[in-house]
Amino acid sequence: MIRSLLKWLDHRVGYREILHEALYERVPGGARWRYVWGSTLVFTFSVQVITGLFLWTAYSPSAQTAWESVYYIQHEMTWGSVVRGLHHFTAQAMVVLMAIHLVQVIIDGAYKAPREVNFWLGLILMQIVLGLSLTGYLLPWDQKGYYATKVATKIMGATPVVGEELQTLVQGGKEYGHHTLTRFFAMHAGLLPGALMAFLGLHLYVFRRHGLTVKDRDHAPETTFWPDQVLKDGIACLAVLALVLVLAIWKGAELSAPANPSEAYAAARPEWYFLFLFRFLKFEAVEHYGLAFGAIYVPGALMAVVAAMPLIGRAALGHKFNVAFTWSLSIGIGVLTLMAFYEDGTAEDHQAATLEAHRDGERIQELAGGANKIPVTGAVTLLREDPFTQGPRLFAKHCYSCHRYNGHDGRGRLVYEASENGGNRVALPTAVDLGNFASRDWMRAVVVSYSQHFAPLKNAGWFKKAKDGDEILNPDESEMADWSGDIEALTDKKNEKNVDALVEFLVQQAAHHGTSVEARLAKTGREIAVGEAQWQGGIDVSCADCHETIGEQGFVSIPDSDDPSYPNLSGYGSAKWLKDFISNPGAAQHYAGKNQMPSYAKRMTSQELDLLVRWLVKDFQPTSVPPYVDRRKAPPAAETPVNP
Amino acid sequence: MNDDSPRSDNEPGSVEETGVESEDTTDAPDEELVENEPGVDEDGTTGGDKEAAEDGADSGDAETADEADDATEPEDDAKRELTRRVAAIVIGLVVGIVPFFSGVVFFLDPLLRKKNTDNEKPSAGGSGVVKDGDGFLRLAVTREGLPDDGTPQMVTVQDDLVDAWNKFRNVPIGTIWLRKIDGAVTAFNTICPHLGCTVEFRGAERDFYCPCHLSAFELNGEKKNPIPPRDMDSLELKADTGDEIWVRFKNYRGGLTEKLEI
Repeated sequence: MIRSLLKWLDHRVGYREILHEALYERVPGGARWRYVWGSTLVFTFSVQVITGLFLWTAYSPSAQTAWESVYYIQHEMTWGSVVRGLHHFTAQAMVVLMAIHLVQVIIDGAYKAPREVNFWLGLILMQIVLGLSLTGYLLPWDQKGYYATKVATKIMGATPVVGEELQTLVQGGKEYGHHTLTRFFAMHAGLLPGALMAFLGLHLYVFRRHGLTVKDRDHAPETTFWPDQVLKDGIACLAVLALVLVLAIWKGAELSAPANPSEAYAAARPEWYFLFLFRFLKFEAVEHYGLAFGAIYVPGALMAVVAAMPLIGRAALGHKFNVAFTWSLSIGIGVLTLMAFYEDGTAEDHQAATLEAHRDGERIQELAGGANKIPVTGAVTLLREDPFTQGPRLFAKHCYSCHRYNGHDGRGRLVYEASENGGNRVALPTAVDLGNFASRDWMRAVVVSYSQHFAPLKNAGWFKKAKDGDEILNPDESEMADWSGDIEALTDKKNEKNVDALVEFLVQQAAHHGTSVEARLAKTGREIAVGEAQWQGGIDVSCADCHETIGEQGFVSIPDSDDPSYPNLSGYGSAKWLKDFISNPGAAQHYAGKNQMPSYAKRMTSQELDLLVRWLVKDFQPTSVPPYVDRRKAPPAAETPVNP
Repeated sequence: MNDDSPRSDNEPGSVEETGVESEDTTDAPDEELVENEPGVDEDGTTGGDKEAAEDGADSGDAETADEADDATEPEDDAKRELTRRVAAIVIGLVVGIVPFFSGVVFFLDPLLRKKNTDNEKPSAGGSGVVKDGDGFLRLAVTREGLPDDGTPQMVTVQDDLVDAWNKFRNVPIGTIWLRKIDGAVTAFNTICPHLGCTVEFRGAERDFYCPCHLSAFELNGEKKNPIPPRDMDSLELKADTGDEIWVRFKNYRGGLTEKLEI
């Protein structure tokens, strides 16, 4: 029954002949592992078509939905991370396999007559695959893809004569936007795969026409493609698939923070297989001749040599030259790639940028996965309005030159200054480290080790230049320093409870988010602050004696106080106090003219000030992103080589 | 695998002399069209590459086809050959199925994911939506605002709406017909239970009417003709809310006699 049905079908369409043609290609010299590369490439392309079509069902190309839909695929949809991971890593496998295939073809001399045309078809296929990589890299619209692709389109813009027009056409406008995505997506999922299929068809047709390039006909008895070579091809494909699956499941395709044109991305790097070109462009000699030279003429010339190999191969030493050229090129690419990796791995700046990129990537996941999901304005808004993300950046922009945050600039980097001998050294802070601002530790330090807590002020230029009698904030010479300097009394066991209570009261004043306060202890603290408690050992001045009124709830602000000697501690350390302090550091309630801190009211927008303050008082969605490494214990004045 | 690779040509080969040859070859491929391109092998010598290829293919095929047909030869070679074939087929299936199966599971996500209950939770506040723990939404209209003569009033229902990765705050999620008769209010979803168009109010006939497929309903929601499969979908109103109207808004599947929630 089936047999006669098949016979009927064969009569009508002739499938047996096609099958026969396909399967019984002769393989002189026996099946070899060296023939598998072409098949693995066809296989990886098939995987890309399959996974790509499925990803298409969930991808939404626009500046406000591309990242969001990829986030949804990656973190919300069933097996989304597997399918995206397969697509992501198979793309990389494809580039590697393509390189192996090319090298194999050249070494075996498979480009020679009569296979020149097929060699050129292969080179066209290579360009298409690289085009697919490039266009695919942008589609998630994350910081990584966005900034890496920007470099690629900039290079395109450096093309002589038509550069600008070409770039505008590819981008769908002068700048990146919705149409960049729709165009890249059309190229990635339509034009390029279509072209690839057409050229692959030709490539395979011509390949079958001329058959395998056999070096050693006597290696083994002649066999046919099926089943011997098919089995070897299958095993190779299985190995590729296994590797890609492992990477997809255990490593996972990265999705960094959503593209943000207003947020520089210092960690921008092309996909690793383009790193050699990136590194090549960084050579000063290359830069000297301009972008077009390094990114277009040189690679173009190298490609031209490869394309000319069938012609070069006709000469007496042509093949030897081709092989030598291929090896030199491969080694050159390998060395440049390793250099790029090594340099990035040792460059402190790049490490910090990469770390920050990962943190942003983690953070945006928390925010996008929250109860409010993603606003219509896009996920980038979540990060822009997130104090945990923006606070450190604002700190590193406005505050780090005097203050530190746990010893770093807010973004985890040490602060350097030029040293006398031309190198760089870690700069000393000239104001208090705000890493633990208004925490219990901070409050305790203010109370029991005031001079030491504010000691960084003494590193400041204004302090060193100050003459006797100048009105400055001197952490060693003030009434508070004297009070706090009574260390014997303050550390007396019998006063421990009093200090604890006072600290608790101050912490309550600051009202930081996520800090639980022991209300009874704080109440005792208030009593101590107004002088209603007994201290052992001669402490007879209470907070209220200097810092004016303390109400039921805490310090009471006295508007237009004309006595600037003592800071008003109403809500000391709270968001409101902090905002006021940053805006009016010289106001009567904040050390008046003694305060050397400039006002930031006109240096940042009120929105920025709000984000900075909310970060300092921990008013943001809780996070599992770990804090930056505490760098207060870093060797302070260690000489480092000139920053690269 | 390139065994099923696309071949853009229809280069006619010779009729295969194999055990599976078709007897009825009235439309046999054109034998004269054989392109006898002299191949140039890698040594640069021209020769009967094609012929050799055909010979090789023929002989190879003859052997393998024979073995396939009567795989009773007890020789080790045949066994090994069979093992290789089975292995090749199994591996081929595995590498093909893994990506495809992953993709299919991914595609079935809407069926596989657990019901999204985000839209049924009481509003987190801040968006202006007032919703209680049972899913009742407070409407902007009040009992007093409804006409006293029982004329239905179309009202838009607003809620926070989750759509995949987005959450829209306080947006229209549907419309309802509200009627007040002797102070008592009834509510219907405006979606026609037939095929989902919006049911209109006809002042002259004093009935509900769907312009798409002519479904018609009495003002109490009962169907007036056999076109709709069931009466209009009434919606639950919260009791004892004074002048306020609170509705539990639901959409129902169309085309069924039963009233089933979507």
